[in-house]
Amino acid sequence: MREEIRIGVYICWCGNNIAKMVDVEAVSKEMQKLPDVVISRTYKYMCSDPGQDLIITDIKEQRLNRVVVAACSPRIHESTFRKTLSSAGLNPYLFQMANIREQVSWVHSSREEATLKAVSLVQGAVERVKWHEPLEKRTVEVNPATLIIGGGISGISAALEIADAGKQVYLVEKQENMGGKVACIDLTYPHLYSGQQLIHSKIDQTRSHSNIDVFQNSEVKKISGYIGNFEAEVARNGQEDIELIFGNIIVATGLKTIDAAKVENYQYGKLTDVFTSFELEEMFLKGKVAKKDGGIPKNVVIIHCVGSRNTNYHEYCSRTCCMTALKYANQLRSALPDSNIYQVYSDMRAIGKACEELYTSTAGRDVMFLSFDQQDGMPQLRKADPEDDCEMLVEMDEKLSGETIEIPADMVVLMVGMEGHDEARELGRMTGLSLCGNEFYIEKHPKLDPVATTTDGVYVVGSCQSPKDIPDSISQAKAAVARILATINVGSVEVEVTTAVVNEEACCGCQTCVKVCPYTAISFDEEKKISVVNEILCKGCGTCGSTCPNGAIRSRHFTDKQILSQIEGLMSIHKPE
Amino acid sequence: MEFKPTIVAFLCNWCSYTGADLAGTSRLKYPPNIRVIRLMCSGRIEPTFILKAFREGADGVLICGCHPGDCHYHEGNYKCLRRYVLLRKYFKQLGIHEDRFRLEWISASEGKQFAELVNEMTRTLEKIGPCKIKAILETFDKGED
Repeated sequence: MREEIRIGVYICWCGNNIAKMVDVEAVSKEMQKLPDVVISRTYKYMCSDPGQDLIITDIKEQRLNRVVVAACSPRIHESTFRKTLSSAGLNPYLFQMANIREQVSWVHSSREEATLKAVSLVQGAVERVKWHEPLEKRTVEVNPATLIIGGGISGISAALEIADAGKQVYLVEKQENMGGKVACIDLTYPHLYSGQQLIHSKIDQTRSHSNIDVFQNSEVKKISGYIGNFEAEVARNGQEDIELIFGNIIVATGLKTIDAAKVENYQYGKLTDVFTSFELEEMFLKGKVAKKDGGIPKNVVIIHCVGSRNTNYHEYCSRTCCMTALKYANQLRSALPDSNIYQVYSDMRAIGKACEELYTSTAGRDVMFLSFDQQDGMPQLRKADPEDDCEMLVEMDEKLSGETIEIPADMVVLMVGMEGHDEARELGRMTGLSLCGNEFYIEKHPKLDPVATTTDGVYVVGSCQSPKDIPDSISQAKAAVARILATINVGSVEVEVTTAVVNEEACCGCQTCVKVCPYTAISFDEEKKISVVNEILCKGCGTCGSTCPNGAIRSRHFTDKQILSQIEGLMSIHKPE
Repeated sequence: MEFKPTIVAFLCNWCSYTGADLAGTSRLKYPPNIRVIRLMCSGRIEPTFILKAFREGADGVLICGCHPGDCHYHEGNYKCLRRYVLLRKYFKQLGIHEDRFRLEWISASEGKQFAELVNEMTRTLEKIGPCKIKAILETFDKGED
């Protein structure tokens, strides 16, 4: 006989976030009517300590053995409430969440209908949780080594931090040399520190550190395993396969600049003295700013947002170009004291410490600022006529004056936008990372978990997640390191318990599941003539369960019974009496 | 009374469920007639789940998975696609309008696309009208002819 089911239902107000659009009391009252529901309550913030204490007390006093919380997305607080159950002595999997914030109160505008939907979602959770079963947490040991992919400022900062903590790092860099984009920069904004000094001392430390193995000119070819126990094949110089084992991965592959020729109105590659921002950096590094013919440009025009913030190219802001352009104005003012310097910008984005100050001080250094509309009014560039006394003309609708003007130019600098690497998708596939609509990696949660990813043990740091400046990149790198050192310190991590299990009685030995498993986690026992799941390799996708013709595979925590009951619950109030 | 279709949606935790959350975080609006079931992968979806949803009175069933090549479990979405194609043929035989059963790819960053999809599917179902499968099966259950 099944145990007596005693369910507690908790409806969260989330302050006004839910309560404003959902009649939480009405939902709670509906739930009280359901069989097996012992208690149903609402509370202002279920995730707060008093909210959780409410659940703990009820579990003990009301002898609850199932809990449903209707609140925000389970992606945010499922783990919180599972811990609540644990601390009350109840198995954490005897719990189900109903998402009535992100998927109800925030997306609907009729209180009556939103309340009705909330009732059905919570009822679905109630019907489902009845069939939940206790699952035991499994832990695996963590290999204390870390693989870092990418040797730019982010990867190097992470490597040194881990290595200084006494742990092994394998750093794989695709290029001949480490340093990434920072190595291509002369001075950094806003304080005009030397980028070269910043990066080269760190590269030297990385190379000589006894806990860091650097593989330059190398590429990761294959990654397998799971948190705590990954393996990789690395090819150095296009051959020589190196095999590495490690417990965590930091992806720090950075970004690239867009092809300036794609923004056709700026004539890159067609007019001689149109340069990209990185080409200007090269000139600064070499110590001479000059036109192609070696002459001094009398008029330098710096154009912002080339390929950024425009739906024809990239919709997003490339984050670092505005301040880099101001830095150029300062460097050019010193290098070319007699030249005219124009900043042709769309919006000046001076976010970050000391950046607005840089803007103000640059404005005071005899630099002309002209504004255009990035969506409908991008400047046009053309070769000047002989009588113009300059090489090129930039024609634009100047936004602040409202006039159409022509600016003389002998050198044009394009502040090229940033984009993800072409190989980002392939590496994402290897490491289990998704892309966010462009070629940048998506983090686990945009606010609450910005360096973790949906694959446990894999972290994204620096510009491969979105364009970033140096301090933000280093902050992310060190944040990921803190997470990794914490797991290494504990020595073990909890892994997926929602794995598949074969019912030996029902298995007919057809091996369909063996073929569909993406992790080769299912093998065939030749003696018993049945399939066997290796629970360490199983990641709980459930594909085998839905493929088995005999229904012999149960996907733990996503069993047929649980899902079918949830459907019944969801639909049972669908037409109100 | 105005017909308001009910949609049962099976969303993958890694892509479309997150996308649906993003629609919420972005305060996008869509009709409240959709009931979401969260699964770890669209590859977990069995034909029984879909049949059950129609059996319980759904006017439409929506499956959302990761875009091709983006599956968190490598290829669960392809397995789902194969089943979907077969199941559609079967539903056609049953007389279930093909627009009642949809498979769409929605990524974790596509909150806007998710909201638009729900809007569009709701409008389509409003035009088609209520699904009669539940009523028909109930008649069978009662043994009437």
